[in-house]
Amino acid sequence: MSEEIYGIVASFKDTPSLYHAAEKVRDAGFNHWDTYSSFPIHGMPEAQGQKRSKVPIFTFAGGVTGLTLGTTMVWYMNAFDYPLIVGGYPFFSPVFPFPIMYELTILLAAFGTLGGMFIMNLLPQHYNPLFNCAKFLEVSDDRLMIAIEAKDGQFDPVATKQFLESIGGFDIEEVTA
Amino acid sequence: MSDQKDIQKINSTGFFALVIGLVALAISLYGIFSGLETEDPARGFLSWLVGLSFWLSIALGLLFITQIWYVFHARWPTIIRRQCEHFLSVFPWLFLLFIPLFIIPQIIGEPGILWKWLDGANALPGGHGTVQDDPLYQWKSVYLNSNAFIVRAAIYFSVFIGLSYFLRKWSFDTDITGNVENTHKARRLSSVGLFLLATASTLAGIDWFKSLDYHWFSTMYGVWFFAASMRAALSAILIFCIIVSVKGYMKGTFKQAHRYDLGCMMLAFTIFWAYISFSQYFLIYNANIPEETYWYNIREHDGYGVKNSWWVISLLLIFAHFIAPFLMLLWYKTKIVVNRLVFVAIWILVFHLVDLYWNLIPGKVIDATASHGYYIRQFSVEVFDITAIIGIGGICIWSVCRSMLKAEPIPIKDPNILTSLNHSE
Repeated sequence: MSEEIYGIVASFKDTPSLYHAAEKVRDAGFNHWDTYSSFPIHGMPEAQGQKRSKVPIFTFAGGVTGLTLGTTMVWYMNAFDYPLIVGGYPFFSPVFPFPIMYELTILLAAFGTLGGMFIMNLLPQHYNPLFNCAKFLEVSDDRLMIAIEAKDGQFDPVATKQFLESIGGFDIEEVTA
Repeated sequence: MSDQKDIQKINSTGFFALVIGLVALAISLYGIFSGLETEDPARGFLSWLVGLSFWLSIALGLLFITQIWYVFHARWPTIIRRQCEHFLSVFPWLFLLFIPLFIIPQIIGEPGILWKWLDGANALPGGHGTVQDDPLYQWKSVYLNSNAFIVRAAIYFSVFIGLSYFLRKWSFDTDITGNVENTHKARRLSSVGLFLLATASTLAGIDWFKSLDYHWFSTMYGVWFFAASMRAALSAILIFCIIVSVKGYMKGTFKQAHRYDLGCMMLAFTIFWAYISFSQYFLIYNANIPEETYWYNIREHDGYGVKNSWWVISLLLIFAHFIAPFLMLLWYKTKIVVNRLVFVAIWILVFHLVDLYWNLIPGKVIDATASHGYYIRQFSVEVFDITAIIGIGGICIWSVCRSMLKAEPIPIKDPNILTSLNHSE
């Protein structure tokens, strides 16, 4: 097992100090880092400088695919492959197959949302080196943490540690991969 | 209301709106009476009805949303709820403005000018005898008769006025006393009031709008009126909140998160309106029964397959009243950038009006020289439509301004006010 450094974690004493520390990490220009808490904190995405989620794009793409699929499916079945007169209606019109078009739009939009959420959250992820850190496990209880990863361009084992200390972090530890 | 400049501004706006409103209403009344001489005497009344239904739908939607917020104990819209409550003061005035529609035809001795079934002697279009010979009317006459109409209209307006009176009274009382019991009472009333209001507004939609064409059947009409009202109400209250937050007393309290949530509700009700409107069409299209399909036929062609003016309006309802606002509101940015959201809200209000035109105006007008013995009243924007909308709107805005002077700008002692002020996405 290699003793490569995965990153550095630091704990913070309360939510406001975590929030302001996050702003400082953001302003220092780090990219590969995250905050960890056992409850959601309003405004944290902004403090971390995160952009809006890309999941809606997946939803939209799924919806458009569903609408197109529903339309072409009904057209192919009723008007092209096996034209059939039902109740005197035209072989194809946007009216009578609308429930199918609409339901497929909803279904594939939902699949798009679910899939997009998995992709954007990097799921499924069965292993994360942070679990090597015993203190990190306390995050699910009452610990508030920031972890800066070694793959960040600005990462430096010594300077980053000092930086985390300067913004109010304690229990600073290196986490091995 | 403490700021002297605000009070002055509200006072002058209210006075201005009242003067404009009264002048425009006088012109509309002239329109009704001068229209009696023409071949289509109902058109002047329809102008008034369109104007009334536009403002009534906004007020009803706001009464719905206020009670829905109470029932769900929604904390975030507390500051918006106060603005809705100002609008709820308009119901007594709308009642007064509704009366002429019924009374004027009675006075001039032709009770069935606007609602054809109010006069059994009215001739049917196409030379099929009179209304009282019509088997469909005979079946429906238990519900559609003059006395029942008056009693029901009185009940509907007492529900609207009663609910809005108590919701306003208790909310304004909290400003002074800070009594939490007021909120509990409002919540209890709303849980009953929603049922009363849903029944009253559904039947009102049937009585006043759907019965213009009493032959027709639709089980979706009341829901359509609800959906349309909600869209209009959310757009109107959004515009109102933005006006008072950019220029006036809500500066700094009405924030991005409130805008975003109102925008989300606008999106939801845009979809709901489309769902209901399409369902109504779809059920009638599938069943294909002549007593139902004719309602859509007169909104598409002249009886020989030549498209009439309502065809374009029908397409506008699909593409401009649903697809355009739907796509615009899908984008997150539209829901938070002030100008874009106001643009969509105005857009929805304009096409809400088009929707009302499409639902209320078309009808068969008897004309011996026309090929079937009647022609279909076409889409047109008359001067008297505009004066009715402005006139009734003027009275409503005056009433809102009067109400704004009676209460704090936001419900300062409401138990949920802090959550509303701190609301974030």
